[in-house]
Amino acid sequence: MTYKPTPYKIESMKQYTEDVKLLRVNAGINPMPGQFFEASILGFGECPLASCSHDKKHIDMLVRNVGNVTGELFNLKKGDSVFIRGPYGHGFPLQELQGKDLLFVAGGTGIAPVTSMIEYVSQNRKDFGKVEIYFGFRNEKYILLMDRISKWKKMFNVSICLDKHGYVHEVLGKKDLDLSNSMAILCGPEIMMKSVTEVLNKKGLNNDKIFWSMERRMECAMGSCGRCLIQDVYTCKDGPVFRYDFIKPRLENEEASNRVK
Amino acid sequence: MQKILSKNKLTSFLESLMKNNQVIAPVREADGKASCFNIIAKQDIKNLYLDKLTEVPFKQFLIPENEILLKSTKGKLIERSDSKNKKNIVFGLRKCDLNAIKILDKIMHDSYYIKKRKNTILLGLYCTNPDDSCFCNSMELEGVENCCDLFFYESNNNYYISVFTKAGENLVKNLPEAKREVLLNIKNKKQLPNKEIENEYQNNAWEKDSNKCLSCAACTSYCPTCNCFDLKDNLDINLKDGERIRKQSSCQLKSFSRVAGGKVFRDSRLSRFKHFVYHKISYFKKSTGRYMCVGCGRCLRVCPTKIDWVETINSIKRGK
Repeated sequence: MTYKPTPYKIESMKQYTEDVKLLRVNAGINPMPGQFFEASILGFGECPLASCSHDKKHIDMLVRNVGNVTGELFNLKKGDSVFIRGPYGHGFPLQELQGKDLLFVAGGTGIAPVTSMIEYVSQNRKDFGKVEIYFGFRNEKYILLMDRISKWKKMFNVSICLDKHGYVHEVLGKKDLDLSNSMAILCGPEIMMKSVTEVLNKKGLNNDKIFWSMERRMECAMGSCGRCLIQDVYTCKDGPVFRYDFIKPRLENEEASNRVK
Repeated sequence: MQKILSKNKLTSFLESLMKNNQVIAPVREADGKASCFNIIAKQDIKNLYLDKLTEVPFKQFLIPENEILLKSTKGKLIERSDSKNKKNIVFGLRKCDLNAIKILDKIMHDSYYIKKRKNTILLGLYCTNPDDSCFCNSMELEGVENCCDLFFYESNNNYYISVFTKAGENLVKNLPEAKREVLLNIKNKKQLPNKEIENEYQNNAWEKDSNKCLSCAACTSYCPTCNCFDLKDNLDINLKDGERIRKQSSCQLKSFSRVAGGKVFRDSRLSRFKHFVYHKISYFKKSTGRYMCVGCGRCLRVCPTKIDWVETINSIKRGK
């Protein structure tokens, strides 16, 4: 395995909010839904970004301007080159999800990895059952990927929850959902995923039917650097998608020892 | 196959290796300086440090503190050109050092490491005087010799050399053969008999140690198997040239698990300290089938507040 990235020309940079853009490059890589790439600019560094499409021709990545590298990526323009290596990680467990009703819940930029799975479902519609999508955003200004959401609205049941209407887990709690044949796919801040999981548990969905797409600092992406370890599992190599019953005890252990200063 | 080398001929043996190869051996260059593995020339042979385990482990030659992976100029990538190096011959590796290399081989998957590893010949040396912090016997030491090319046993005034590979055989082909049973067992005062700590994560005993911890990362920098690193880009002041380096880092540093936006996943000293101990004794065993600790005791010797986590595990286990 090598750290050598490949340069790609940027085909488009679409701005959604003040600090989020969708970076699209032409590349003949078709990542599995839920996988991620290491994108970089020489001289500035690398950052892990989720793949947001299921497309043979393009790689789409949602870039939020939060750090050194993402700040530089954010300022790139059409025609500039960006260095990419990947895809890395296990994506969503397609075989396990096949034939099931799917419930997607995502918050903020957590929409990125989920997007690739929704695109996959829309391309292979007959392999899946009912699809419900819940996205949480802070307010109207923070809504991401509206063009895709409008497209999905024609195929699936999509709800957008803004904070003034209540957090996404509160909205979910009030809904009457039939989850008997469902699998849930979650991505967002850990505190949000935790609350959503609790709501789903109450509605009868067990932890082995819930998948979390996790965020850690994935530096090497090949299970060497130790940065993304959640206790004994590498987020880059073993994840970033984990079944919740698998990752739950590990997260709880870490959280308990973080309380002691 | 076994060969014999009289002790007073070690100098000439090493000198003969230097002709075509780069020889690395444990040395202490001056009083007060740490003993470490270094590239040696003829005049350094008198400084060889073979009586005890070196303070600094061998890992710096496989995973240097700062290693340039890629270079770039004006937005173009230049692959690192590794000049055709001479082979590295490392003399004086203890069993624990060899064990550590075996473990690093399991963690490091990149082409740079693999290339370096292929270019290295390992000459092991039997350890005659482990000190009070050593507990290598408790950490899967059996059969470690197999991963080196030659293994030197010291007996009276001779080295009895076991040959394990073709590359090793070539180095000693001029030495006379020998046949002698070398049955040796390293004896440690310190032991870690019971390593079942998976269910002890919430035990309060860890807090006693972590309260003393300064998060200085000395344990991880002296550990022969700790490999955690950053990938970092440096931009030259002319804003055109840059390089991507692999820089050694440590799980004991707070910034290590920080993500964009500022969230730190291992925020407390306790969680970072336990991460070190559990990675060595539990996590790695679960995923690869062997312990990541080799029992060299370097972390115990180097700790400024004398944290003895081995004793903590023992006391937890005794308490049960």
